[in-house]
Amino acid sequence: MKDMVVVKGLSFQYANGARQVLKQLNLTVPEGGFLGIIGPSGAGKTTLIQAMNGMIPHHFPGDYYGSVTVDGRDAFDSSVAEISRSAGTVFQDIDSQMVAIVVEDEILYGLENFGVPKKEMEGRITESLELVGISDLRYRSIRSLSGGQKQKVAIAAILALKPKLLLLDEPTGELDPASSRQIFSILRELNETQNITVIVVEQKIMLLCEFAKELGVLSDGELLFHGSVREVLSHSAELEEIGVQCPRVATLSAAMAAAGIGDGRMSLNLDEAEEMVRRCLA
Amino acid sequence: MQGVLEYVPGNSILHRCNPVTKLLLSLSICIACFMSGNVAVLLGFLAVDLAIGYVGGIFEKALTLLRGMAKVCAFLFVLQVIVVRSGEPLFFFVTDRGLWLAVRISLRLMGASIPLALVLAVTQMNDLSNALVAVLHLPYKYAFTLTTSIRFIPVFMEELAGIMEAQTARGVEFDTKNFFRKMQLILPLCLPLMITSVRKADANAVAVEARGFNLRTRTSAYKTYPFTAMDALVAVFSLCALVVGFVC
Repeated sequence: MKDMVVVKGLSFQYANGARQVLKQLNLTVPEGGFLGIIGPSGAGKTTLIQAMNGMIPHHFPGDYYGSVTVDGRDAFDSSVAEISRSAGTVFQDIDSQMVAIVVEDEILYGLENFGVPKKEMEGRITESLELVGISDLRYRSIRSLSGGQKQKVAIAAILALKPKLLLLDEPTGELDPASSRQIFSILRELNETQNITVIVVEQKIMLLCEFAKELGVLSDGELLFHGSVREVLSHSAELEEIGVQCPRVATLSAAMAAAGIGDGRMSLNLDEAEEMVRRCLA
Repeated sequence: MQGVLEYVPGNSILHRCNPVTKLLLSLSICIACFMSGNVAVLLGFLAVDLAIGYVGGIFEKALTLLRGMAKVCAFLFVLQVIVVRSGEPLFFFVTDRGLWLAVRISLRLMGASIPLALVLAVTQMNDLSNALVAVLHLPYKYAFTLTTSIRFIPVFMEELAGIMEAQTARGVEFDTKNFFRKMQLILPLCLPLMITSVRKADANAVAVEARGFNLRTRTSAYKTYPFTAMDALVAVFSLCALVVGFVC
C-alpha cells in the first residue's frame, strides 16, 4: 500500500514565534487511511494540518526542519497549488473559507481555478453535492444556511476537486452533536467508497473512536501516541494527564485490564463495554 | 443598512443584462447627476432610479433606499442653508442662493447614490467580478478584493453585534438615548473588531490559496457573459443619460 502522507523529523517554529510548535514529528498515513488527531489546545494540531497542505512553510514562514511528503510531492519544494491538487483542506473557521454568495458558485470556484474542463464541471458539481447529500441547497445563498449545512458545502467544494487526501481542521467545532455525527458519517463513506484518505483534527473523542481507523495524540508539538484507536485508548491514564478526556468505557476497560480483570480488550462503546462486563461476570 | 447590498433573486430584464452593462448604467447616471445642475433634470434622474427599481422588480427596495438617502440629504440641506451666505436674504438667515444650492445638492446626492445600490441588488457578486475580469480585463486580484469586501460586510456586522452583546453582558449600556454617549461606547470596539477582521481576512486568504487562487486566469470562469441586444439598448440609454447630464 502506498503512503499518502509521510512526515519525517518535522520541527517547526513560526517566524516571530517564541517556541517550537512541532518537535521532531514522525508520522505516516497510508492511502485509504482515516486518522484522527487529538490533543489539548496549543498542541500543534492546526500547525500539523497546515504543514500537510503546504501553507507551512509557503504562507506561514518560519524555521522548518525535516520533511513532509504528500502524495509523493515534497511540501517544501512544491507550491501550495500543486499540493492542493491532491490534498483538499476544510478549515476551522467555516465562514471565512467561503468565497461565494451562492452554493453553486462556491463549488465552481476551485474547479475554475484548477482549470477543470468546462464540459466536466456540471457533472462534478452534481456529484459532489450528492456525495454530501445537499443537492437541494445548490441555488441557496450561503448566508441563509445553518452551520452544519455550511460545513457540508465546504466539504462538497473540496470534493468536487477530487482530492486523494482530505484534511479537516475541527470540522465539527461549531456544530451540534447530530450534525457532527452526520459530518463524520459522510467522511467515513468517502473514505470507504471513494478510498479518500482522511486526516481530521477533532476534539470530540467519541466521534474519533467511532469513525477513525487510527488515532494520533499530539501534546506540546510531539506525537505521544499513534496507532489503532484501541491501542491508543489503552493509554487512557496518560491521556487524562495531558488533558485528553477518554470515553468512560475506555477508562473502565483500561482500569479493568490494569487490575488483571477480563481479557484486556479495549471497549469503544457502550455495547462492547456491556458485553465485556457480562463476560467477566459470567 | 444591513441587506442594502444583498442580492435579490429574480429574472427581470436587468437581472439578465451583462453585469458590465449594468455597471455602466449606474455609473452613467451617477456621473450625469453630478454634472447636471438643472433641478428638473435631477428630478428626472430620480424618476429613472425608481424606474430601474421597478424594471428590476425591486421597487420596494428602491423606495427604502430613497427614504434612507432622504434623511441624509435633509441633514445636508439644512447644513447648506446655514452655511451658504451669498445671495438675497429671504427670511432669517436663509438666502435664495443657499436654498437653491441646498435643493440641488440634495437631489444630486439622492440621484447619484441609489443606482449603484440598485444595480448591485440585481447582480450576483460572483457574476460582477467574473465579468469585470473577463470583459474589462481587470486583474482578478482587484475583482476578488472588491467582491470580498462587499461579501464580508454582513460577516463583520455579525462580529460587531457579537462584541456588543459581550460588552452588554458586562454592563455596558449601548441602548442609551444619547447619541454622543453611544458613539463613545462603540468607538473602543473598533480595535477588537479590526483584530477579528484581519484574522478572518487571513483565514480567507489561506482558504482561497488552497483552492487555486493563484492559478486563476481571465478565462477560468465557467459562466460566460455575452452582450445581447438588450445590453446594447441599456448602453445607449446610459450614454443618453450622460449626454443629458453634461448638456443640461
